[in-house]
Amino acid sequence: MSQTISLEPRIHSASAERAAAATLSIPWYIWCAILSVICAVVGSAWDISWHEAVGRDTFWTPAHMLIYMSGILAGISCAFVILTTTFQKDSPSRDSSVSMWGFRGPLGAFICAWGGAAMLVSAPFDNWWHNSYGLDVKILSPPHVLLALGMMAIRFGTLIMVLAEMNRAQGAYRDKLERVLFFAMIFLLGMTVGIAQEYTNRIFMHGAQFYLVVMLAAPIWMATVAWVSGNRWAATIMTAMFTAVHLCFTWGFPLIPAQPKLGPVYQNVTHLIATDFPLLLIVPAIVFDLVRRRIGKWGRWAQAATLGAAFLVSFVAVQWPFANFLMSPESHNRFFATGNYPYFIPSTSPWVRNIWIPTEHSFGQFWLRMAIALGVAVLMTRIGVSWGEWMRRIRR
Amino acid sequence: MSIRRFRSKIASQLFLVLAILLAGGFPVLAHVGSPDVYYEGDAGPYHLFVTVRMPQVIPGVAEIQVRCESPGVTSIQIVPLRLTGPGSSFPPTPDLAKASKDDPQFFSGSLWLMESGALQVRVLADGEKGKGELAVPVASFAQRTFPMDKKLAGVLFALMLFLAVGIISIAGAAAREASLPAGEIPGPSNFRRAKIVIVVSIILVIAILYLGKSWWGLEDANYQSRVNFYKPPTAETTLENGNRLIIRARSEHPRWAERINMGQVVPDHNHLMHLFLISLPGMDRMWHLHPNLLPGGAFAEDLPNMPAGRYQVFADVVDERGFPWTLVGTVDLPQISGKPMSGDDSSWYGAPLANASSPASPENATATSPLPDGGAIVWQHSTPLKADAAMDFRFEVQDRDGKPAQDVEPYMGMAGHAEFVRSDFSVFAHVHPSGSVSMASLEMAQAGLTDATPAGMSAGMAMSAAPSTAIPPEVSFPYGFPQPGEYRIFVQIKRAGQVETGVFDAHVE
Repeated sequence: MSQTISLEPRIHSASAERAAAATLSIPWYIWCAILSVICAVVGSAWDISWHEAVGRDTFWTPAHMLIYMSGILAGISCAFVILTTTFQKDSPSRDSSVSMWGFRGPLGAFICAWGGAAMLVSAPFDNWWHNSYGLDVKILSPPHVLLALGMMAIRFGTLIMVLAEMNRAQGAYRDKLERVLFFAMIFLLGMTVGIAQEYTNRIFMHGAQFYLVVMLAAPIWMATVAWVSGNRWAATIMTAMFTAVHLCFTWGFPLIPAQPKLGPVYQNVTHLIATDFPLLLIVPAIVFDLVRRRIGKWGRWAQAATLGAAFLVSFVAVQWPFANFLMSPESHNRFFATGNYPYFIPSTSPWVRNIWIPTEHSFGQFWLRMAIALGVAVLMTRIGVSWGEWMRRIRR
Repeated sequence: MSIRRFRSKIASQLFLVLAILLAGGFPVLAHVGSPDVYYEGDAGPYHLFVTVRMPQVIPGVAEIQVRCESPGVTSIQIVPLRLTGPGSSFPPTPDLAKASKDDPQFFSGSLWLMESGALQVRVLADGEKGKGELAVPVASFAQRTFPMDKKLAGVLFALMLFLAVGIISIAGAAAREASLPAGEIPGPSNFRRAKIVIVVSIILVIAILYLGKSWWGLEDANYQSRVNFYKPPTAETTLENGNRLIIRARSEHPRWAERINMGQVVPDHNHLMHLFLISLPGMDRMWHLHPNLLPGGAFAEDLPNMPAGRYQVFADVVDERGFPWTLVGTVDLPQISGKPMSGDDSSWYGAPLANASSPASPENATATSPLPDGGAIVWQHSTPLKADAAMDFRFEVQDRDGKPAQDVEPYMGMAGHAEFVRSDFSVFAHVHPSGSVSMASLEMAQAGLTDATPAGMSAGMAMSAAPSTAIPPEVSFPYGFPQPGEYRIFVQIKRAGQVETGVFDAHVE
C-alpha cells in the first residue's frame, strides 16, 4: 500500500514532465543555424556541380548566394542571440550561457558567429587570390579553406547548440532534439568527406591513400555520434541520413539542364554534373554499431582500437570490390552516375578512361600506408570517443 | 583534370589536406612584351578587326573588342576553344558581345580563359548578309602575380587576428563554462582548465597559421613557376667556323625543355624560324634571316657579311601545338665575312633610332622612309599614337616618281611584314597584314572552322598561292603598342624580286 502511495506522485511527476517537455519547442536560433547549414550544404554541392558543368561566369551565381547567405544568416542570428543574452538581464538563456569578451550567449552561438565571420573574411581574400593567381578551379586553396573552416564552425556551433539544449532536456523534448542532433551530425560527416573528395575519386579506390583519407574523414564522427547519443544505431542512422542526402545530389543534379559557359570544353555536358555515388560508409557504420554494443565495457583505447579496425576492414571489404563495378561500363547509368564528367576533363584523363591511379608504387608502400590508415582509424575513433564524452557534458 | 594533376596529387602526400594541385597544360608565349592579340580578317561576308586583351592571370577574363568594317552586322558572339586537339571540338555556350551605344559597328565582350596554352577565340557574326565565322589564335599564359596592396593586407591581417583571438577565446570559454549546469558560476578549477586550453589553442592556432603561410608560399611559388615557364626563353648563341651562328633555346624553368620540343616546330609562312638581329643600342642595322633546324632542336644560320658589334636577337618559332615562342638574347659578333643573302633573307642599314632618351613629339615621327631604289614607303598616319589603342598601321609603297608602286609582290606569301621594337627591346612584335598572330597558328585555327574557305582567311594568306603576282601597293598591319615609349617599326615588302625595308620611328604616349 505504502509502495502504491509513494509511486503515484512519481508517475504523475514523470507524466507531467513528459507533457511539459512535449510542449517545449526548439529555440528559433537553432532553426536558423540549421537553415544556415542547409544553405551551405546545398550551396556547396550546387557550386561544385555548377563549376563542373557550367563554369563560373559571375560571382552572383545562385550557389554562391546560398553559401554566403549561410554565413550571413548564422552570423546575424547568433550575433542577435549573443546581444540579447548579454543585454537583456531576464533573457531565458542567460543562465545557460558562456561569457567571452564581456558578451554572454550559448557557446554554439559564439562558434557559429565566428564561422560566419570567417566565411565573410574569406570573400575579399578569395577575390584577391583570383586576381593574383587566377580563378582557382579546385576546392583546396587557402581562402577556400578559410571559407570551409567558417562553414565547419557553423556546423559545429549548430551541433553544440543542439547538444546544450538536448543535454539539459528530458523526455520527448530530448528525443526531438536527438533527431535534430543526427541531422546536424550528417553535415559534419559530409563536410569532411566532401573536403576529401579530390582524393576519393573511384580511380584511387584501389590505393591505400584512398583508405587513409577516408579514415581521416569518417570514423571520428561515427564515434562522436555513438558516444553522444543514447541510440544503439547512432552511427548507422547518421550514415544512412548522410547517404540519403548525398544520393539526392547524385540523382537530382542531372535533372537540371546546363551547358558549359567556359572553355576549352572537352566533354559534351548537357546537365549539371552528378555528385559522385556515395561511398559505402553505411556498411562500416552498421558494423561499428554492432561491434560497439559487444565491447561497451572495455576501456576507451581498446574500444577505439577494435572499432577503428572494424571500420577500416569492413569498409575495404565492401568499397574495394564495389570500385571494380564503378570502374566498369555497367555503372554508367543514372543510378550510379559514373558516366558524366566535368566539361574540363579531357578524354585522355584516367578518370574518363577508367584507369586506376596507383597511389603507392610498391607492395611494401601499400601495406605501410594501410597500416597508417589503421592507426589513423583507431586514433580518429579515439578522438571521437573523447569528443562524444565531452559533448555529453555540454550544458551551455 | 590531366594526368599531371593526378600525379601531383599523389606526390603531395605530406599535404593531404593542404594539397597543391597543378593546373592545366603548359603552352607557349606570343611576342615579347606584347600579349594582346590584334587580328583583321573576314567572318564570311563581314570584314572584322578583332582585339583580344589578354588577362594577366590564368584563369582570367579576356576582353574582346570587335570592330565591324563591313556594314550590316547585327550580332557578334564570341567563344573560346583550344587551338587543336580534343578541346577544340566542343565549344561552350557563346557569349554575346554588346554593341556600343555610340558606334553600332563596335562590339565588346569578355571571355574567361580557363587554361594556359594555345587557345583560339571564335567570333561568330550575324547580320543582313547571313552568318560568318572567324577564329583568332591566342597564346594564353599567366604574365605575373599581383602583390597584395598594403591597405588590403592591413585589413586582412586585422581580421585574421580577430579570428585567431576569437577562436582561442571560444576554446577558453568552452573549457571554462560549457559543462556547467545552468546558473552555476565557474570555480577555480574551471579557470585553471580554461587557461590550459587557451595555451594549447594558442599553440595550435600559431601552428595552423604557420602551415597556412607555408602553403600560401608553396602556391605562390607554384604559380610563379608557371609564370616563369612562359617567359621568353633565352636564345643561346655560338659562332662556328667564323660565320655559322648556332641558336639554342634555353629556359630557366626546369621542365621547359621536357615539354617544348624545338625539334618539332612547325613552318610559319614557309620557315621554321624567323631570326631578327638588330644592332644595339640604336637599331641602325637589322637582319631578318631564316635559320635551318638541326637534329636535336638547335638552329643554324650561315650569316651574311656583318660588321662587328653587339646585336639583339629575337627568334620566332611556332611549336607543334601552334604556340608562338620568341627566343630572346644578345650576341657579340666579330666582323663576319659571310655568304651573300638569298631567298627571303633581308637586311637594312640606316640611321639609329632618334634620340631614344628624349622622346620626339608625334608630329616629328617619320612618315616617309626612302628605299634604296629611289622609291619610298609612306606611313599614312595622322593621329597621335597612344598605348593600348588598336590601330591599322597603313603604308603605301611608292616608286621613284612618288606614284603607287606597281611591282609589289607577296613577301613570304603576304603583302608585307612589320616588326615593332621598343627602344629598350622590352617589346618585340612580328606583325602581318592579318595581325599579330602567328601565321602557323592562324592556319590551325582556320582549319577548325566549318566554313573555312579562302574568303574566310586573311588577304595575306590567300596570296600565298601566287607568289610572283603583283599586288596592291598598300599594306596595313593591325596592332597596338603595349606601352608608351619610343618604337622603331621595320616594314618589309618585296618589289621586283627584291626585299626592301622601310623604317619608321614612333613616339607613343
